[in-house]
Amino acid sequence: MIRPFARMTPRRRATLLLAALGPGVIAANAGNDAGGIATYASAGSQFVYRMLFLMVLVTIALVVVQEMSARLGAYSGEGLVSLIREQFSLRTATFAVVCLVVANVGLVVSEFAGIGAAFEIFGVSRYLAVPLAAVGIWAVVIFGSYRYAERVFLLLSLAFLAYPVAVFLGKPNWGQVATNTLWPHFIASHGFIVLAVALVGTTITPYMQLYQAAAVSDRGIGPDDYPRERIDSVGGAIFANVISMFIIIATAAAIGGTGALSSADQAARALEPVAGAGAGILFAVGLLGASALAAGVVPLSTAYGLAEAVGAERSVSRHFSEAKLFLGLFTAQVALGAAVALIPGNLINLLLNTQILNGLITPVILVFILILANRRTVLGDAVNSPRFRFVATVSVIGVGLLAVVVVAQTVGGWLGIA
Amino acid sequence: MARRPPFPRPTALRLRRDRRTERLLANRAVVDALTSVAGLVGRPVRITGGSEVGRLVDLVARWDGEPYPPITGLVIRVGRRRSFIPGEQLAELGRSEVTLRSATFSLRDFDRRPGEVLLAGDVLDHQLVDVDGVRVVRASDLYLAQVADGWRLVGADVGYHTLLRRLGPRRWRARPTPERVIDWAAIQPFGVDPGPLRLRRTNQSLSRLRPGELADLLEELGRPERTELLEALGPDSAADALEEMEADELRALLRDLPTQRAAELIGAMEPDEAADALRDLDPDELDEVFAAMTPAVAMRLRPLLAYPERTAGGLMTTRLVLAHRRERVGSVRDRLATQTDEHGDLDAVVVVDDGGRLLDDVRLVELLVADGDEIFEHLVATSEPVTVNSDASLAEVVERLTEARRTSVIVTDDDHHPIGRILADDVIDALVPSRGRHRVHVRFP
Repeated sequence: MIRPFARMTPRRRATLLLAALGPGVIAANAGNDAGGIATYASAGSQFVYRMLFLMVLVTIALVVVQEMSARLGAYSGEGLVSLIREQFSLRTATFAVVCLVVANVGLVVSEFAGIGAAFEIFGVSRYLAVPLAAVGIWAVVIFGSYRYAERVFLLLSLAFLAYPVAVFLGKPNWGQVATNTLWPHFIASHGFIVLAVALVGTTITPYMQLYQAAAVSDRGIGPDDYPRERIDSVGGAIFANVISMFIIIATAAAIGGTGALSSADQAARALEPVAGAGAGILFAVGLLGASALAAGVVPLSTAYGLAEAVGAERSVSRHFSEAKLFLGLFTAQVALGAAVALIPGNLINLLLNTQILNGLITPVILVFILILANRRTVLGDAVNSPRFRFVATVSVIGVGLLAVVVVAQTVGGWLGIA
Repeated sequence: MARRPPFPRPTALRLRRDRRTERLLANRAVVDALTSVAGLVGRPVRITGGSEVGRLVDLVARWDGEPYPPITGLVIRVGRRRSFIPGEQLAELGRSEVTLRSATFSLRDFDRRPGEVLLAGDVLDHQLVDVDGVRVVRASDLYLAQVADGWRLVGADVGYHTLLRRLGPRRWRARPTPERVIDWAAIQPFGVDPGPLRLRRTNQSLSRLRPGELADLLEELGRPERTELLEALGPDSAADALEEMEADELRALLRDLPTQRAAELIGAMEPDEAADALRDLDPDELDEVFAAMTPAVAMRLRPLLAYPERTAGGLMTTRLVLAHRRERVGSVRDRLATQTDEHGDLDAVVVVDDGGRLLDDVRLVELLVADGDEIFEHLVATSEPVTVNSDASLAEVVERLTEARRTSVIVTDDDHHPIGRILADDVIDALVPSRGRHRVHVRFP
């Protein structure tokens, strides 16, 4: 009884497309969080338009990975951690979840730091803004339900539209943008590789895949609804990366060639004198929306992961207030994230360390996803086709290699080698 | 579509389960007699008093309809090969090793016979239904015990401590930590290939569950398990459960099923609920389903689809008990006695004249106290029966029901022929806003 999308009436297709916005858009856009914006802005200010071609490759990898996660969620009706526990072992699932929890706590801190930074650009003290934002996000998730939270998240994603506007304010050289996007090239410099690694790491993050699969299965999306879910996951990934490219273009046009930036708010401040106050404010709006979105999605993905590992996954999809495990975990993460983000002093080191953990866990999760999506016993006829399998394998190996590089680099940095 | 209000959890059942477990585990001897499947996997397999022949990979159990499935064999790894050892060879399942009866056994590959499952591969860490507790669980561990005729699966552990134990060092893993153990007799397992044994291994207690509870379970399960549970339920209970499901989940579930099976289930649902389910499908999907239905069922359902959802026609059930005005009360009573499947919706008997037009709606109470030889004409009251036209809006239906203080209202066409009945509970379903997990609720935990 499964109806191919192509055979549907145009009207039904249109309603499907509208209703499609959901887990995919949210998961991929959460990737443009505070850390992401800092990296993309840095790419623009350091290498002008030269990173754009790499972004095209990263987009392909992200699309492939998110699509596989969504397909696993839809065809098995279970989240990634549940599948790992069933198909591999309890220990493997536990390892994945422990890494995820630690890495995600670091991410939550950086999201709240992003919220605080954005508000400071508007002239609101972070000591006021961060606690308020934490309570707000907490309340939306705890007193609402998944569907309600999802709508709020989608609304937050609209903040990303600030970036294309910021781009036009910066008047980029469109000819250069086009050639740098389409012409394959890399720069063999140490700085370029370091940034490329960071770029891939921040664009493809485990919580995105976990959230994608869990939310899809939670929504009750099955094989028949999968065509529209594929539009959601593929479209969401492409949209998210187009936004990333806009961030690169905006900073490249205004402050290209001025060197590295260390944070997203620094980028917004740097834009102001060159592209006008409007561009700076738009950047801050984007940062605020992105950080708030990720501050909700990241703890949710932790909750899904942990609940799936202990076999209590459905408690997350019910009223959140009924799920004690979830409630405690979510509250603790938001409270800890907001509190640490407010501690004065340089937290970059802490963030860097959690980034390493993300780098470590990304290839592991991606390999699991790839193996699961290649297994006929899990997906039946929806298993990866040979061609898809090739593209996916290359993507996973590519991301994995870069992740290994970033880990080696940082560990080397600790030891004083690199 | 029926929207299910949250109902109180079956505390009586749960209490009974808890007590059963407590009683079981209070007995220290019982705990000592348990063998943990998770702890046993990977342990050495020996010949009595002899040397190690291999390592245990998995245990084979047979779902054969008995409350406690017997262990029918082992899968062991000898060198790099996996091989199957039949249950008769088994001498002892210890905590940390398995002993075989004789040194001579033939190494042959495991070949799944009907009804057989691999405990570590298919059941441990997978979803199960706890029928007493009415919930979907994931087994952290499985416990075996020795009975007169061999080893049997007696319980599933769903405790979190057990998970920690399995993560700990190897020494810990073999020691059972029964903490939240569910008696296997209360479990509906999955994971067996469809075969002739399928219906026999359905847990009998499943039939005691209310349709709303079954709907909850169906919504919680993964896709293969869901289809299995539906198959195990049989068409009538399955259809009842489907009526209680959320519209989205129901549509997804129906599309998952083979068309023939989906048509059967829709046919077994109440006509108004079936029409609701069908309305969600695409036109060509509809044609497929109708083609797969028996003509009688399709004939009954097709006209219902013509009515818009929130009108009297969309709310009504077409199951009516009609009586001619000259018919005797006794004969209608006899007729009702044979139509047992319609009792749930039965509220009153519609009396019609020679042209099939509505005369009155006689309540069951009146029918009960009336003399068997009385004819219906004499029961017809002077007051008008409570009716609405098929295109009446929900508001009109509510108004008619509340002014008349009846529990149902008859739907008529333009010529005053009765075509259906709307029961108060269908009106309640339509009036109550979407409930359950999608509701935004403001409540402090």
